Order: sequence, then structure tokens, then C-alpha cells
Amino acid sequence: MKKIFAAILLAILAIGSARTPVLAQEDISPAEHKRLFREGAQLWPVYCNTCHNARPGSEKAPYEWNLIIMHMHMLGNLPPQDTKALLEYLKGG
Amino acid sequence: MPAGRIFSTFLFAFGVAALSLVGPTRAADSDSGDAAAMTEIRSEIRQMRAERQHDREVIHSLELKVQQLETKDSKVQVTTQQLQNTDQKLKETTLELQQTNVQVKTLQTKVDAPVASSQFGDAFSRYLGSHSFTVTGAAGGDFIFDQQSGALDGLHHASQNSFFFDWEPMILYRPTDWILFEGVFSAGVGNTGTATDVSIVDFQIFLNDYMTVVAGLFDQPFGDWYENQSPMWVNRFVTAPLPFGVEPVVPPSELGVQLRGGMQFGDLGQDFDYTVWGGNGPGFSSSVLGAVVSSPTAVAFSQTNGKSIGARFRIYPLPLDSGMGRLELGASTYNGKWANGNWYNSWGVDFNYFTGNLQTRGEWLESYRQMPMGQAADNRQGWYVQAGYFLNGIDVPGLPARLDDYIHRFEPLVRYSGVNQRAVSTADIQAATGVGLGGTQVGLVPDFGINGSPATYAPHSREVALGLDYWIAPSIVWQNEFDIELPRAGGVFVSPTGAQTSAGSIPNDHAFLSQFTIGF
Repeated sequence: MKKIFAAILLAILAIGSARTPVLAQEDISPAEHKRLFREGAQLWPVYCNTCHNARPGSEKAPYEWNLIIMHMHMLGNLPPQDTKALLEYLKGG
Repeated sequence: MPAGRIFSTFLFAFGVAALSLVGPTRAADSDSGDAAAMTEIRSEIRQMRAERQHDREVIHSLELKVQQLETKDSKVQVTTQQLQNTDQKLKETTLELQQTNVQVKTLQTKVDAPVASSQFGDAFSRYLGSHSFTVTGAAGGDFIFDQQSGALDGLHHASQNSFFFDWEPMILYRPTDWILFEGVFSAGVGNTGTATDVSIVDFQIFLNDYMTVVAGLFDQPFGDWYENQSPMWVNRFVTAPLPFGVEPVVPPSELGVQLRGGMQFGDLGQDFDYTVWGGNGPGFSSSVLGAVVSSPTAVAFSQTNGKSIGARFRIYPLPLDSGMGRLELGASTYNGKWANGNWYNSWGVDFNYFTGNLQTRGEWLESYRQMPMGQAADNRQGWYVQAGYFLNGIDVPGLPARLDDYIHRFEPLVRYSGVNQRAVSTADIQAATGVGLGGTQVGLVPDFGINGSPATYAPHSREVALGLDYWIAPSIVWQNEFDIELPRAGGVFVSPTGAQTSAGSIPNDHAFLSQFTIGF
């Protein structure tokens, strides 16, 4: 039983490691930046308010939002594209 | 020698020779005529000599002039060459100036143009390096008054009022874009004096878009409360609902590993998420009926080698564009062994719905604890529902704008919560239980976020909490709460030796809590 559990765990880790994480630095076009910003503006008051008051992007520096949104992606189990949009919006486009 | 000069000399010599040959012949003709001719010839010769001398001087003068002219021409050529060189340099300098001018204009344009915040942010991020670090968290101070109007199983009771303070920084450290470290610490002044605690220490490894591994000490991902609602600036009330207070139905934290993620299954806003985890499992303060459940359990006192497993699934069915608000529906389970093979099983369901200024949430949870030595099972139930409404959408006619602004910052709240359990251990009431929102609970004394009311320890506790929050900023709030304890009769109290006494009637006391909280 333990061997099966360990094998499943290793398989999950191996499959999971094969792809790029959601918040990896990547070059995106200006048009894509704008699209994510607009989507983030739509999601921000809804997703954040699901648990707590939505806090404005001006409260934190962009590099701090990198960490906080990474944390909230985990804590809120946010879908990857929505996470990127929220980060784009909170960092001010 | 120039050609003109040679020709003149030759002409002169020829003339003299000719005259010398002709002269004797004519002398024979006439001596007087010859003398006169000779005189004339000599005169002519002198004249020719003079003219020749003059010609020589003229030629010399001309030669000098020619030399001067040649010298001048050479100088002119040099000057012309210098002028050409200077002209070339001027052209080159002009070209350089034009290029510099273009560069200056380009730089000026860049300087005048506003820098996009994203560009500045990216540059600043590069400056900071790939390892980044920040501190968030919350701090709060509260005042608690608890009536404690009646006795609870003979325990001492007296009206309580005290100030408390708690500080809970959360440290986030990101060494790469796929690893995050989280540490939450608390330092407070509670009913046992100053105390510190570590409530979360874990690594978060982002395997891909849909899978994150969390390893360490973490809030129990059961339902919605421990993970998402327990931070003091997030919780709309000062206290926790009864199933998550001094007599919790599910352990508040776990030491183990999680795998979790979320995805969109339809339109924007229609999401689904999962969390599965395993850990050291639940522990209980003792083997008696009604002993408080806790986790993580110290390895040396783990009571069992069995591990726990848990799972939670949540769905958000409403699309964002529907305009119907945000609805979350969730189901959780957590199971493990304690005390050498006795099972602990729990399950729960939760919901959260908000639209506009209205927010509601609630949870139902049950646990089953298998008891040793053939004792009857130690089963528990808990629930809560709460609602809050921001007044920022209400304009009172006739009020000054400033007063209206104050009213807009209020959020009235109401919560009903309860716990059913067959028994409660009196040792847990009198001793530190290690539960609560930021400190340890000792006896019938309040602590940070805990009103200390005897009624909250009743086997069938019920509580109506009325709240009035004043929001200064999205994460700065002054919270006021009035608790009405309405415990039901029934159940038993169990002493450390296992002796049971009927809970009987428990007084309906009241408590007032006021707390100022900053989320940072």
C-alpha cells in the first residue's frame, strides 16, 4: 500500500514538473498585457471579496504582488489565467 | 641659363665680329668717314651694352618676380589645402553635431515621456534580484467584557474585562518563480502574559498551472474557516464561530503534505478546485470522552503511528457575466487514526455567497471518534451561518455628506453558531487547550479573540453574535461584537478520571468585544 502511494506521489511530481509554473517570468505582447489588465480589473472585486475586502494595487509594490499573488494562487486555488490577470491588474498594467 | 639671355649674348658677339671685319675695308675709302663711323658704332655698341645691361636687370627683376610669384603660388596652394582640410573637418563636425542633436532629441523624448509602471516595476525587480521577500499579516488589540453570570460544573466564575494584543506577521520568501516559503508567527499579550507561537511554516512548490505541493505545518484545509477566514482582519467578527472556537470539531492545523489546484470549467468565474492532503493525524488532549481535538500532534505524544488523509472540493457555478453574484459550494473530509488504531472521521459542507453589498457564508461539519475499550463513540456536530451588509450603498436623505460618509463605512453583521457533543472534558476547560485565534485558552478567562464565556464550553452550546464593523480602509477595521450565549441543556462533563456529571442548566450570559485590527 505504501509502495503504491509512493509511486503515485512520484508520478504526480514527475508529471507536474514537466510544465512551466503559472507565475514564471515570460515575455508577452503589449496587447496581451492590456487584455490581462482588463480581465484582472473585472476579477479583482469578485475573487478577492470572496474571502476578504479587495485591497488596491497601490498598497504594495509590484515585486510584493508577485509574492502575494503567488501565495493567493495557492490559498484560493485560483485558475492560472485568472491569477495572471489579477497580478497584471494589481501591478498596474 | 635662360634662352633669352643666351640669344642676346650670341647677337652681341656676332655684331662685334661683323663690325671688326667691315671696318678696315672702309678705312681705306675714307679715314675721316671711318672715324665718324667708328665713333657712331662705338656709341651704338655702348648703347647696346647699356640696353643689354638694362635687359639683364629687367630679366633679373622679372626672374625675381617670377620667383616671388612661384613662392606666393606655393603658399596659396598650401593655404588652399589647409582650407580644404578645414572645410572637411567642418563638414565632419557638422555631421557629428547633427547626429548628437538627434541623440539629444531622442533622449529628451525618452526623458519627457512618462515611464510605464510595469517597466519601472520590471527594472526594480531586476534590481532586487530573483530572491524576493515581503512581510504581510495583521495586528490587533481588543477589549473583552464577559458577564459570567452563573457557575459551570462548579468551576469558579466571575465577571471578566481585559485588554489584549496580538501581532501575527506573515513572512513570504520567494527564491524562484516556482517555490514560495510561508511563515506565520504570533506574539501576543494574553491571559497568561506574553506568548509567541508559530502557526504556519511551509514550502509551496508550484509544479505547474494546476498543481501545487504544500509541505510543512499548515492550516487545516477543511471547509472555509481555518484557511481563509481565521486571519483577524479577514474574520468579520472578533471571535470564531463555535465549531472553530474552544471546542473545535476538526483539528485547526496539520503537519504534512498537500496537493492542490484550481481550474476554470466554463465561462469566466466558473471554477473548480481541489485539495488533497496527508499528515500526522489528529490528537486528543486525553482518552476521555469529550477531550478536545488538536493537531499537529507532537511526534513523541502522537498516540498513534497512523496518518491522516483529507480532501476538499469546491465549485463556483455562477459565471461572472451573469450578474448573479459569486457562489461557492464546498465539501470536505478528514480522516485519521489516533490512540493506536482508533479512527477519527469527519466531513463537512460549506457555502459562501455574495452579491453587491451582501455577503453570507456558512458551514456544517460532523466528526466521529472511535473510543478505546468499547466506549460509546465520541461524536460531534457543529455549524454556523452568518450575514453582513455594507452600508455604502445606502444614502440617508437629508444627512450631511460627511455624516453619510461615516455611515457608508459601517457593516452590520449577524451570526448563529452551535456545537453538539455528548460530553466536554473539564480538564480542557481548566487547562490550556492551545486553540483560539492567536493564543491559548486557560479556564473561563478571555483571551485574544475568545470571550471566555462558560456557555461556550457547554456540550450543546449555541451563540448569537451581533457585529458592527467600521471599515477605515479595506484592511483596517474597528470591530464591535455582542455575544448572546444560549446553551441548550443536556450532555455531560467528564473529569480527568472519566467520572461523568450531568451538564444540567447552563446560564445564558453575554459578552462584549471591541477590537481594532490592521491587516498589512
